[in-house]
Amino acid sequence: MGCHTSKEADIHIEKDDLKILLMGNPNVGKSVVFSKLTGMDVMSANYTGTTVSYTKGGIRYKDKKGVLIDVPGTYSLEATSVAEEVAVDFLKEESADVVICVLDATNLERNLNFAFQIKEYNIPVVFALNLIDVARRQGVDIDVQKLERELGNPVISTVAIRNIGLGDLLEKAWEVAGNEIDVAEKVDLTEDERWQEVGRIIKEVQTVDHRHPTFLEKLGDQCLKPFPGLPIAFVVLMTALGVVVGGGKGLRAAIFLPLVHNWIVPFFRMLVSNFVTEGVIYNVLVGEYGVFVKGIEWPFALILPYVFLFYIVLSFLEDSGYLPRLAVLVDASFRRIGIQGGNIVPIIMGYGCAVPAILGTRAATTKKERIIVASLVSLAVPCAAQTGAFIALLGDHSLLLLGLVYLISFIAIVIAGILMDKFIPGQSDPMLLEIPNLLMPDGSSLFKKIWLRTKEFMLEAEVPMMMGVGFAALVAETGMLNSISGYVAPLTTGWLGLPPEATLGLMLGVIRRELAVLPLLDLNLSTLQLLVGSVVALFYIPCLSVAGVLIKEFGLKLSLAIGVSTIVLAFFIGGLINHTVTYISLLF
Amino acid sequence: MSLYNSKINFKCIIEKLPQINLLKSIGVREGMTVCIKSKQPFGGPVVIEMGKRSVAIARDVAQQILVREVQ
Repeated sequence: MGCHTSKEADIHIEKDDLKILLMGNPNVGKSVVFSKLTGMDVMSANYTGTTVSYTKGGIRYKDKKGVLIDVPGTYSLEATSVAEEVAVDFLKEESADVVICVLDATNLERNLNFAFQIKEYNIPVVFALNLIDVARRQGVDIDVQKLERELGNPVISTVAIRNIGLGDLLEKAWEVAGNEIDVAEKVDLTEDERWQEVGRIIKEVQTVDHRHPTFLEKLGDQCLKPFPGLPIAFVVLMTALGVVVGGGKGLRAAIFLPLVHNWIVPFFRMLVSNFVTEGVIYNVLVGEYGVFVKGIEWPFALILPYVFLFYIVLSFLEDSGYLPRLAVLVDASFRRIGIQGGNIVPIIMGYGCAVPAILGTRAATTKKERIIVASLVSLAVPCAAQTGAFIALLGDHSLLLLGLVYLISFIAIVIAGILMDKFIPGQSDPMLLEIPNLLMPDGSSLFKKIWLRTKEFMLEAEVPMMMGVGFAALVAETGMLNSISGYVAPLTTGWLGLPPEATLGLMLGVIRRELAVLPLLDLNLSTLQLLVGSVVALFYIPCLSVAGVLIKEFGLKLSLAIGVSTIVLAFFIGGLINHTVTYISLLF
Repeated sequence: MSLYNSKINFKCIIEKLPQINLLKSIGVREGMTVCIKSKQPFGGPVVIEMGKRSVAIARDVAQQILVREVQ
């Protein structure tokens, strides 16, 4: 996901439309089934809980229409987390015509337990036995017809990612939708009875061949041991960093900068000079800091390469199933800041964009963990766009300085985490996490995901960026900037030691995080000023879309608290660095 | 003996589980044969193998799971 809020598109539902709920355990491929059936793009990943809010999509089968609702994946229907509450509400209140329940053929036991829980709700069910190809490769063979008889509902084998079995699935869904459920046949088992029943069925329908573990299986196990797991994690993260930072610099210099400077900007200059003569409007549009100059150079040449590469790395990590392994390795350290290891996923996502990261905290079961992760991401985790801006500002000057900013960010995460753990009431849950198989990501779905995220960035970033640059050009051209800078001079020049023009960054930083950094680019700042400016930008207020999602998820009061504390901290720490370094340099 | 203290790669049968709902719904149950695959230092979780699946369990929870070693 790029910088955007969750898709909860309102789709008009007509009376005759079939209402279908798509349900199942986490990480069984529901989201893949959903995107294949609806043609809508939703994100999937190889770990539990990708879908934390529901998505609706229209579907067609022959000449009939229906609406498919992708319900968050849960292990049970006992409403112990936000995702489970959502799932139970759907079964109780949505008056669905039919449920498509996706079962993971490689994990039949746990999935059948869920199947029986769904059957308690008296709604016709069709089961999709998904990942049947992976199961066969693992030596697991399932007798589908027998399973169908045992469950008393249709069971269709599917390989959703390759579109296998999905047509049959829809046909069955429409077939059983009208069926009355015979109440006498209704299953109502206690938990122990349910597990016994599941165990009995598994003995009947499943045969397992023992095979030698594959290379990926062995590697997957090694990643979970402290040694060589930790060295592997170090190599993986360093490679990721190298790809994003090194690759981004390469892309920027080889492709994006020349393209923007030699082709795109001259094109707009030519176009605009046909209509407008030199003057304020000309300067606002295509002057040195014009909308069609910086408004294009900044997002496309300086930021996009990093965002693009970050999403390649993130999507690969997600689909490979490596992230839950990282979660196991970091759990002991994360406990010290009051959250369990599983929260590594939203935090890593935060290095791309804080919006999906904050939405991703819904998978956490306790409020305390959600608040801690959302605050840390808003405060001290720079998004990919801001990283691009930092590299543009600091990378050419000194890589050491760039490293220092990230070190400060890391220290802030640790300190803020420890403090929040102390002062926020409540508890965090112990780690209980399913570790998926390590696998080579499917090329086409990986490509689609990267494209989707990059496209979203371009759409969501470009308009505010151009407006921001336009606003900046306007206040600079009209001289307003000077008078505003005068008012805040005690703060910017006095306390932070920055030149008066730095005011612009503070004004634009409200719109997007990277805009707090980019205006510092051509100011010829000293090393200390570069550091102070970067640190202020790092901690400074979360951008507009983040503020929006914070309010939506946590309410106005808490969002205001997060917003105010980030601003105060930004100025406090920035000034502290300025004065400490100045003082120390006076001593020598 | 607690699951947390059982030896790595030694099969054991779960005798008693603490009252944690997620444990059951994730598929960990009494009477199951499991073994510890790896253990993290500094109070980190253990990863257990049950059938073909792996599940990470926090130390506090693993300490409350009582097991009997087979073999």
